[in-house]
Amino acid sequence: MSLTEAKTATAIRPAVRRRGRSGRAAHSRLSRRRRRAGILLSLPALALVVALIGIPVGQAVYYSMTQWNGITATWIGPSVYTALFKDPIFWRVVENNALLLLAVPFAIGIPLVIAALLNEHVRGWRFFRSVYFLPTAISWVVIGMFAQRFFAATGVLNNLLSHVGFGASATDMLAGEHSALVALAITFIWSMVGTNTIIFLTGMATLDPTLTEAARVDGLSRTQIFFRVTLPLLTRFIQFSFVITVISAFSALFSLIFVMTSGGPGFGTTTLEFFIYQAGFQQVQFGTAALYGVVLFVIMAIAGLVQLRLIKPDDGGGW
Amino acid sequence: MAAIRQSGRNSRLNKKMAIWALFTLMVIIAVVMLYPFWYIIDNAFRSAGQFDRQAGHSLIGWKELFANLPVAAQLLNSTLVCAASIAIILIVSTTAGFAFAKLRYRGSGMVFLLVVSALMVPLQSIIFPEIVNLGNVHLTSSYAGAVLVYAALGTPFATFLMATYYRGISDELIEAAVIDGLGYERTFLQIAIPLSLPAIATVTVLQFIQIWDDLLVALFFLPTNQRTITAGLATLATGRTTSIPPLMAGSLISAIPAIVVYLIFQRHLVKGLTLGMGK
Repeated sequence: MSLTEAKTATAIRPAVRRRGRSGRAAHSRLSRRRRRAGILLSLPALALVVALIGIPVGQAVYYSMTQWNGITATWIGPSVYTALFKDPIFWRVVENNALLLLAVPFAIGIPLVIAALLNEHVRGWRFFRSVYFLPTAISWVVIGMFAQRFFAATGVLNNLLSHVGFGASATDMLAGEHSALVALAITFIWSMVGTNTIIFLTGMATLDPTLTEAARVDGLSRTQIFFRVTLPLLTRFIQFSFVITVISAFSALFSLIFVMTSGGPGFGTTTLEFFIYQAGFQQVQFGTAALYGVVLFVIMAIAGLVQLRLIKPDDGGGW
Repeated sequence: MAAIRQSGRNSRLNKKMAIWALFTLMVIIAVVMLYPFWYIIDNAFRSAGQFDRQAGHSLIGWKELFANLPVAAQLLNSTLVCAASIAIILIVSTTAGFAFAKLRYRGSGMVFLLVVSALMVPLQSIIFPEIVNLGNVHLTSSYAGAVLVYAALGTPFATFLMATYYRGISDELIEAAVIDGLGYERTFLQIAIPLSLPAIATVTVLQFIQIWDDLLVALFFLPTNQRTITAGLATLATGRTTSIPPLMAGSLISAIPAIVVYLIFQRHLVKGLTLGMGK
């Protein structure tokens, strides 16, 4: 950037100096300079995003309708989409994504309660806050590594169960299709605690304390205040964390699945994003991978549009 | 919850008990959140036999880790990839954020939306076109391909964050600097950049943790001999022949840099995650 920028920078100065003397003409020259600087400065970001995200999206849509191995692509056409919706494997994979959505209420509800506890500001709450947020800094790879040991047949969970006398109920959760998905969901919920608690705690800090004070004077208990006053006022934050949680459930679990279960057993923990990897790398069907990619993209785009609405700056328009 | 309800009543004793109940509950949650870390540390310092018996500690796990994984080289790879990607993200997001906030031109709103909407694209959706494209221009045989992908993935949110931040700086300040003869580019470098250091810190911390912890890009865009520590660890884990203690040792060493950054810059991280939500 430096060379071109330096050139325009030196070019601008005389124009700016003249402004006071020749009034309107100089002013329009100034706004032209400004426009040019604006275009120049926004160009690198645009180029990067278009070249590495925009164009590949177009390619993915095209290749989704082909049989492609990375070198040669044979055109099949839009019929791949009708074929896809008749494919039982597709629905098996989508079922896993849908089941993972059942974890979302827990991934939101538990952090809500934790944020409410932190918001009581008992002694040492800052320390607890740091501890609860810590998983935010940890990679899914490391979390998955622990989770695998936690849920394994000889792992922590079964050990714990046998210690408290439930040894008979010990199972290898990662060996069953549905139990493996449950194990994945629990790990996912644990991992989301940090992020969602941050969001809710920020939300609670924005609340007007006189409102809860008034409710207390009116004789409402703390639980009643939480459900009737605090919760409704947090709606925007809950929506925001809902979107983030759904996006994570659909597109951030690759590493967790890769380390914990590799998608198995069977199709037990193969979600859309993981099937893309399997189709591409294990079966070298890049076309199929692109097809699933487009489906995932459409789902994420819908969630993303909701998110963009939610994080829009308060004064509304102008962008 | 029961504890909270009780404290509504005025008795001093009840209130004290409620606080203790609350405190106990918070300790229990802390144990649940910290246990994995304790497990990883505890079992990193064992041999395979000591792990099976869950008794005794040694450095055998670490020796095994260093024998199976080029730890130092991969930590260096992680650092270099992070630094290069973040540098690009900072350059393009501060310039573009400033342009979208202060140097609007016809269509700049559309360009902004275009850049930010790239947030919605999960890498998985475009991963094979991306790999083929970058392979065609010979960028997947070095750091370059992965760095570009990280930069492109981080740019939309960083640009959004920077634009939001620059919108908070008064137009008059910028105009005054320009009329004083600084020109737009130098106003950007000498006025806007210093003012936006908090936002730059937020972007840096957020991206560092994201890129350091990432597996997807590192696994598929870096050549095997230039893998990051996270990718190295994941491939070691799926190798199935390795015993648990070296994996725990690897987890520990790969997590430490991100934890340190988190502990030092916690405030910036929190700000970035909740951007646009609070006031």
